[in-house]
Amino acid sequence: MDWFVINLLNGMSYGMVLFLIASGMSIVLGAMGIINLAHGAFYMVGAFVGWTVAVKCGATFGLGILAGGLSAGLVGLAMERGLLRHLYKQPNEQVLLTFGFVYILSNVCLWVWGGWPRPPFTAKFLVGSFEIMGRSFPKARIAIILIGLILAVGLWWLQDRTRMGAIVRAGMDDKETTMGLGINLELAFAVIFFISSFIAGAAGVIGAQLLGVRTDLGMEVLLLALIVIIVGGVGSIQGALLGGILIGVIDAFGKAVFPQLAMFTMYLTMIVVLIVRPTGLLGRKI
Amino acid sequence: MTAAPYLAIALILAIIPLFLSTYGQGLMTRFLIFALFAMSYNVVFGYAGLLSLGHAAFFGAGGYAVALLKLHAGVDLFWITAPLGLVVATLVAGLFGIIALRASGIYFLLVTFALGQMLYSLAWNVKWLNSKGMQGITGITLPDLGIPGLSLDTISFYYMVLICFIISFVLLYRLVRSPFGLALVGIREDESRMEAVGYNTWLYKYTAFVISGAFAGIAGILFAYYNFFVSPKHLGIATSFLPMVMAIMGGLGTFLGPVIGAAVYVFVETFASIFLPQRWPLILGGLFVLTIMFAREGIGVYLLRIWEKVSHRYGIAES
Repeated sequence: MDWFVINLLNGMSYGMVLFLIASGMSIVLGAMGIINLAHGAFYMVGAFVGWTVAVKCGATFGLGILAGGLSAGLVGLAMERGLLRHLYKQPNEQVLLTFGFVYILSNVCLWVWGGWPRPPFTAKFLVGSFEIMGRSFPKARIAIILIGLILAVGLWWLQDRTRMGAIVRAGMDDKETTMGLGINLELAFAVIFFISSFIAGAAGVIGAQLLGVRTDLGMEVLLLALIVIIVGGVGSIQGALLGGILIGVIDAFGKAVFPQLAMFTMYLTMIVVLIVRPTGLLGRKI
Repeated sequence: MTAAPYLAIALILAIIPLFLSTYGQGLMTRFLIFALFAMSYNVVFGYAGLLSLGHAAFFGAGGYAVALLKLHAGVDLFWITAPLGLVVATLVAGLFGIIALRASGIYFLLVTFALGQMLYSLAWNVKWLNSKGMQGITGITLPDLGIPGLSLDTISFYYMVLICFIISFVLLYRLVRSPFGLALVGIREDESRMEAVGYNTWLYKYTAFVISGAFAGIAGILFAYYNFFVSPKHLGIATSFLPMVMAIMGGLGTFLGPVIGAAVYVFVETFASIFLPQRWPLILGGLFVLTIMFAREGIGVYLLRIWEKVSHRYGIAES
């Protein structure tokens, strides 16, 4: 029983990081039709900036999250306004451009911060562990689950209860009519892209406890985001949340039961979902 | 099209390596293999309009077939390994095509990605698919062509790859210019109209997918011999990106574009890693961005246009 609970909690905390990674990319894909392969690279930029602020400069962890989110958000906004804006509805060009940014950002991070991987870090008051059913469980992981849940509720509210969210959903369903109603979709897109990149960067700091801070995170995180999007479905917060938690929990139990098949359980889940529901569990038609 | 410029290029490709060092010959071999890989990808992506992110699955399947035959059976007779590799790659493409073509658009991209990554994780986890104590299969040697007294070296292997490349080039060229190829372009432009006219669009896309996978398999077989080593990486997304990047960079939907894209990619990567070993990803990434912003239709199309201007000015006959 304690074995089950510990693995479930492990999976949940990993799943929350996966949710944070995938949610922004999924929304950008669904709302703007943009395949942003640089999303993982934004995560990496956030992680490095967060490390600099929270560990090297010794500021608080919360400030690190904010700095990580802001830096990734600004990089994303610059890319969208400067380049991607000219490539709407041209998926091939988007793919090449954003993939180019994976190379560029990874190499710039290597240049600025050097190649050595940073040890996982978290807030000072989150060091140590709780006692759960006779086993110790890191406080930081509980904090990740809580932060993830709070952000999920916040994003959900943004998506379903605000004017911004309504514009996004309307834009997904019928772009021409939405623009015809006098709504400035350009501005809405810029805001969405900034928020999406911001979440990626903040996730880089929040998830540093689990994934660490390395220059090869750009690709690795992109893979994780794609897996979650495939399982959960494109274009909704609920989908990313469900996909993230499902993959996180399956991965945790998979590692505990079949340690020799490390990634395989994750990919197998993805294939099964694709065969049963090609649009993902909660996917929108796009 | 007149065949003259193509014959001239083939002649150049045949003569140049004679004046190169072994390293240069290896580099040319690498270019031809990736050009073939990108050309095969162009059939599904450029002509049928299907954005796939798992093409390395077929490339790697061909390579693994060669490597496994060497590892477990000690076979390196080209006339056994190559057909078997081709069959394996085609079978994988046949299976993946059935699953992937249930989806379209962005979901097609996600499904092909998923299938490729699954092969990657299989190759990573199954002991039988790895040399003892490592990830991947090592110990591959240049193929035995079964001709007494002939053992391949770098330059003769280059010529073998060149022959494979030219044969594949001609076959693929005829494929995309055939009624079949034109139907693919029709499907890319307007699938529902093609359906209404009475084409079984699924079958066309599926056939294109499998043929394309088979040619990717040939590239993978040659790559295993060139590289002496295959690893799970050659099945996964890192390798799947390559033909896509080459095809887009060179000029999508043009026949020569992917070849030019492969040349640009392979040579820029090599020279950047020689002269700026720390900064080559930055240069390559910058190149992608610049291509998109300034030569959006692809470097190949851009060059062809310059060539047309030049030939127009000097009165060289248009073909």
